[in-house]
Amino acid sequence: MPISELVGLSLQVALSRQLEVVSNNVANLNTTGFKSDHALFEEFLSPEARQELFPAGDARVSFVNDRGVWHDFSQGPTQSTGNPLDVAIDGDAYLVVQTPNGDRYTRNGALQTNATGQLVNTEGMPVLGENGPITLQPGDRNIVISPDGRVSVNEGASVKTEGFRGKLRLVRFAQPQALQKDGTSNFLAPDGVTPGAAPGARIQQGAIEKSNVNGVLEMTRLIEITRTYTQVSTILQQQSDLRRSAIQQLSDVPASA
Amino acid sequence: MRALHTAATGMMAQELNVQVISNNIANMRTTGYKRQRAEFQDLLYEHVRRIGTQTSDQGNILPVGIDLGSGVKTAGTPRIMTQGALLPTGKDFDVAIRGEGFFKIQVPDGTFAYTRDGSFEMDAQGRLVTAQGNVVQPGITIPQNASSVTINAQGQVSAMVPGNTTPTVLGQLSLTRFINKAGLQAIGDNLFVETPASGTPQDGIPNVDGLGDLQQGNLEQANVEAVTEISDLIAAQRAYEMNGKVISATDQMLQSTANLFR
Repeated sequence: MPISELVGLSLQVALSRQLEVVSNNVANLNTTGFKSDHALFEEFLSPEARQELFPAGDARVSFVNDRGVWHDFSQGPTQSTGNPLDVAIDGDAYLVVQTPNGDRYTRNGALQTNATGQLVNTEGMPVLGENGPITLQPGDRNIVISPDGRVSVNEGASVKTEGFRGKLRLVRFAQPQALQKDGTSNFLAPDGVTPGAAPGARIQQGAIEKSNVNGVLEMTRLIEITRTYTQVSTILQQQSDLRRSAIQQLSDVPASA
Repeated sequence: MRALHTAATGMMAQELNVQVISNNIANMRTTGYKRQRAEFQDLLYEHVRRIGTQTSDQGNILPVGIDLGSGVKTAGTPRIMTQGALLPTGKDFDVAIRGEGFFKIQVPDGTFAYTRDGSFEMDAQGRLVTAQGNVVQPGITIPQNASSVTINAQGQVSAMVPGNTTPTVLGQLSLTRFINKAGLQAIGDNLFVETPASGTPQDGIPNVDGLGDLQQGNLEQANVEAVTEISDLIAAQRAYEMNGKVISATDQMLQSTANLFR
């Protein structure tokens, strides 16, 4: 049984999956509020053979198994945009997006308004306040979003009349690793994972949080993956050569000995 | 390998990003131009091993799963509708809006378009028109013998007519506001048209109910900032290159697999 080839194969399968994770990170180098992923590997020991078959005992063979992908929730760099409807979250909190499939959580604070004045994300889904969607009125101007998420505007003819339009809902999770990525910059909370209040989080208006993917790190990882993959291929190649020459030499026994 | 396609989505996204940035830079000196920004989102994830799956009868659950992403997509190119700087020109028919609102223009097919570009001219009939000759709404006709045309902050157009010692009021310019001005569609020629996303147009008098005031003899510059655009351009170019590297790395891995069995 050419077990060494299977061990090599297990590493190659794991590496190609890690490459997929890296390529998704690099593809999202410029995605607002994106959190990078990292692959986790573990050793998988083959079960020992039964004692009666191998009296001398059997060495355990360890394979590579990809156990999971974890999300790096570190803060991404903040880019100032000057757009009053852009918000960046400072701290481990999330904005709440109302989608047809239930609430989703996001770090993407590039907000827009829709035709009825509701605050929405780029997909047109309402971004929720403490008491449901936040709606701006037609005459509103000079929108100010305070660090705690209060959306206030100037309304009416006078410059001094201040109107309060709602407070952005910010939530945090005790175990953020339990969150699942749902595409379109959203996270999904599986059953049993409930959002809690986020008292320490601050909102910065006129800025967005860039992707936290570190280009240099991903390139290094990429080189590491290709080098390891090529090395394993070479080992497999040598194993195959070894076996071929063994077959050739062993079968080269004269028929009439 | 899927990594090839994932990296390809990244390259396509950055190509679009550069396209948006180049359009912003090309329109740096366009009166009333509002810059755009490419917004990206991650694509769907394949949940190879779902997080929270029960792994034993004792109720152990997986703390992390395997989610493989499939790249990036462009969510939109929203327009940033911030105020541009005012440039004094000294020309009588140059009007800049300071604050909210758009000028309403009648285009040749009879419908209305909206613009922040107030570089108006007078046509042969004395009407106030845009640089393309489209009539500014509501139509204002300036008599042939009128002099020193004044447009005040409230949009009132007046001029001195021979024989009178006080200025004669010729008309009133209006401004139009949308609840979601970023939802307007640009049609070129510095014009925007209404869409279902923008909401219905609401006409009003300048400097009333939160609409901006008018500044005669000024033009609103584009709100493009060169430094921002150039640094975005560099970031986009680097991201493009890195995605290219992922493709060549994937190619190298596939090649070493293909070379295994000669």
